[in-house]
Amino acid sequence: MKGRHHIIIESPRLKYEFEIKRNITVIRGESATGKTTMVDLLRDFSRGGNQNLIRVVSDYPCVVYEGGEKNWKDFLALIHDAIVFIDEENYFIGTKDFAEYILHTSNYYVLISREPLKNLPYSICEIYGIRTTGKYHFPEQIYHEFYPLYSPEEKENKVEGENTVFVCEDSKAGFQFLQRCSLNNCECISAAGNSNIYDKIQNLDKEKLLIIVADGAAFGAYMEKLMAYIHYRKNVFLYLPESFEWIILKADILKIPHIKQILAEPYNYIESEQYFSWEQYFTDLLTDYTKKDKTVRYHKEKLSEYYLEGYNREKIQKVYPEEIQKIWKDIQVLKNKKEPV
Amino acid sequence: MLKIYYGEMEGVCYGPLWFKYSFDLKWFQDELVQQMILDVDKSKYVTGGVIDSPVLGPIPPEKLSGGVKTLIMIYKMPDKVFDATSCGPNCAKWLLEIGRREDVTVNLRYFMPFKGEPLEVEIINAGKTVHSEEEFAFTSLDYL
Repeated sequence: MKGRHHIIIESPRLKYEFEIKRNITVIRGESATGKTTMVDLLRDFSRGGNQNLIRVVSDYPCVVYEGGEKNWKDFLALIHDAIVFIDEENYFIGTKDFAEYILHTSNYYVLISREPLKNLPYSICEIYGIRTTGKYHFPEQIYHEFYPLYSPEEKENKVEGENTVFVCEDSKAGFQFLQRCSLNNCECISAAGNSNIYDKIQNLDKEKLLIIVADGAAFGAYMEKLMAYIHYRKNVFLYLPESFEWIILKADILKIPHIKQILAEPYNYIESEQYFSWEQYFTDLLTDYTKKDKTVRYHKEKLSEYYLEGYNREKIQKVYPEEIQKIWKDIQVLKNKKEPV
Repeated sequence: MLKIYYGEMEGVCYGPLWFKYSFDLKWFQDELVQQMILDVDKSKYVTGGVIDSPVLGPIPPEKLSGGVKTLIMIYKMPDKVFDATSCGPNCAKWLLEIGRREDVTVNLRYFMPFKGEPLEVEIINAGKTVHSEEEFAFTSLDYL
């Protein structure tokens, strides 16, 4: 399935309105916000006989999983091109088995779960809470909307510090780029995987400014832990773009046709059956487009000098947030002082 | 005291399901139960099996939120271990309150921040009791 899907679920007293943009959406947050009530409405609607009391607007069928802990594969085998809602009592959604099974299905999944689902590569941008807007005036209809719990740039307090340490999820191209920009003037550490970041940052000097860079497209399961940590650690800046390949594409140094439109609306180009996570799509796009030209050829394992030097590096740097650009500028100034031209 | 075990746990009870089949109307006479319903669900216990919800109108106990149902089960069946992952962060202060009244063990699979001090929570995985918000956070995060 592709695309962004606008969904309305409505009864005389309740209205939910939201958009689903990727194959995995996670709903969590406080108790009593109406998560289970929303699923109950959908369930009652799909059972029929609701005498037009419930209205569901969606361009694809919205299906509530009802099979229990044991029969989920049989249930899902029957569902295609649908938006499947799975409520929190279904512990199987955290298993590797579930992740492998839905990898190549044509559905989008809306998972209600506070548990970090470490086997699923879901985006930090697709983790939502539900909130109501306006005042309660029962029995008037109450409007519920989804709101994102995280954004690609998160920080606690002011981002400043004489000594900076970069921790990068990546150990390959993205890390090589950070290393080059740091000009050996600040520490760059590779965590070699999103699950290792927390372990890597724990023992770092808390006086230093900590910049964490990770692929937001698949970092959803680790976000809560990191946010809890930085709340107490302070002086941390978290940058979570879709992926390093997304940054290169965004820099537009390759002039790929329609790239601005692709990046503005990736959901219209990324087939969920083919790409479990958007970062895979951006890697394929970049690799395919550059494969014929040896100079610009993109290798995840080793980043070509084409991206690491001069104008191209500057263009890529400009995609990073101002906080990171400022650190790089300061490093460059320091280097110029040490080595006057 | 409140004791927390993080991660998967054998034989843990799912609060909303246990509530559905075990709740007792007498429980709603308990002031703490009424306070939890009012604070978390913004709903007021009326009488018998009637609760007044600002969103849904008059509702039966089965329509309470999963978080409140689980809190009630933890409080009323302290000998069982419930999965408190059904409780959102807005249930944290009530878990602490239950822990002040009863010895309870809960299972948690996400980071529920406990605010305010003094705290007294045992993290079973670590084999220690923590007494501050920060100590609680850093000890808990190791097991999530």
